Amino acid sequence: MSHHFLEVRDLWVAYPDGTEALRGLSFRLEHGEAVGLVGANGAGKSTTLLALAGLVIPCRGSVNLGGTVLSKQTVGEIRRRIGFLFQDPDDQLFMPTVFDDVAFGPLNQGLTAEEVEERVRTALEQVGAGHLAERPAHRLSGGEKRSVAIATVLSMMPDVLIMDEPSASLDPRGRRLLIGLLKSFTHTRLVATHDLDLVLEVCPRTIVLSGGRVEADGETARIFQDRTLLERCGLEPPLCLQGMPR
Amino acid sequence: MPTSGCRLDENPGFFSRGGVDPRAKVFVTFAFLLVVTSFGKYEISRLTPLFLYPVSITAVSCVPVAKLLRRVLVALPFVLFVGLFNPLFDRQILFKAWGLSISGGWISFVSITFRSLLAVAAAVVLAMTTPFDRLCLGLEKMGVPRVLVTQLQFLYRYLSLLQEEAVRMVRAHALRARGNRPKIRVSSAASMIGFLLLRSLDRATRIYRSMLVRGFDGEVRLMKPLRFAWSRDGIFVAFWTLYFLTVRFVDVPGRLFGWVLGR
Repeated sequence: MSHHFLEVRDLWVAYPDGTEALRGLSFRLEHGEAVGLVGANGAGKSTTLLALAGLVIPCRGSVNLGGTVLSKQTVGEIRRRIGFLFQDPDDQLFMPTVFDDVAFGPLNQGLTAEEVEERVRTALEQVGAGHLAERPAHRLSGGEKRSVAIATVLSMMPDVLIMDEPSASLDPRGRRLLIGLLKSFTHTRLVATHDLDLVLEVCPRTIVLSGGRVEADGETARIFQDRTLLERCGLEPPLCLQGMPR
Repeated sequence: MPTSGCRLDENPGFFSRGGVDPRAKVFVTFAFLLVVTSFGKYEISRLTPLFLYPVSITAVSCVPVAKLLRRVLVALPFVLFVGLFNPLFDRQILFKAWGLSISGGWISFVSITFRSLLAVAAAVVLAMTTPFDRLCLGLEKMGVPRVLVTQLQFLYRYLSLLQEEAVRMVRAHALRARGNRPKIRVSSAASMIGFLLLRSLDRATRIYRSMLVRGFDGEVRLMKPLRFAWSRDGIFVAFWTLYFLTVRFVDVPGRLFGWVLGR
């Protein structure tokens, strides 16, 4: 299973208005690693995730997923192997019912009806949303939508999970459940977020972005204790490391 | 934010999921509309037996009557507007009753109102008794182009979000405008609608991206087979089609009236 590495080399992305969102980004994720991607607004987190899934075209550099280099020819295969969790679950849940949404990916993979049913059932059970299968997605609570959005990704059995602000707009209980869920996964995970406490709990390794470049890459606990680095990158230490009164 | 205003399919039961096939319901509804619109412009009494269709479906499927009436009445101003000018243009006296001269315009006005309310009631009953995804699936199986059905599904899915964004925008405007009940000026409204469009485009881009990463190749695949049961759906279609044809070609109220008077 060691072929599930994800390597980004010298990635440059510029938007049509000339903004350089990524400027020579490089990092490598090994199989099964959980890595936090943090940085201030505009640091390039979301663009990095989009580039990994071939949703924005880099000007330069390469993305390599387990030996397959991202290109026009391989983008379909790369997307099959990457599970992308979007920031707003409403963007991810577009089908009439939860079942249809979770089945959307597996059906596009050409699986048989029985296989799709099995995938949907397993994915929904994995996130504790089996009872929501027949509900319309737009009637779910924020936490339920997030769980179902994760199920839509899991049902495709991806090698790598990339998540954009997974804890955004979740209440404390929903966030706690999400952390438990993320910790239970064995996939290679890349979590882009401002929620540094979540990163501290879920990801042993953290990459700090600033101005479209990797500013630091290393052990999460060590990085979050480096106040100078965090301040330079527009961040603050996680609340649990700030000596908050209990 | 509650979205109860958009909720149409909240009445499970005989006519909902697992009940009559949506294709049968769509067919019967269209047959009903065809018959309703085919009557002459001065016809009123012969329309009355057609009320049986929305009334009986409402009763069988336990649709709350008040809710149904509220939704039908929403269309009433438009209905009245359509027939409003008939009494002005068509002044030919058709008959006199209790010293009053009734012109053709007034008769056709009442007929148009009757027919429009019947048509709206049938459409609302269909929408209230059929989950939207089943309705779309039924339309697709009946040959409606898939791209159109997908558009309908997306419209239904994202209508509430669009509504929420519009409400937030109006609220933000109200908080910064002068006066107790600030009015939105035309120039502000134009700008707000423009922003709403831009936000919708942004959302559409994000949704498209989320479809792409899950292998979307231009075709939305669904995995819910519809089963047309002749013993249930066939009888439903046959009964109502026969009833509509009878009402269309036989003067049921006239015969009933004659029969009662004859006795």
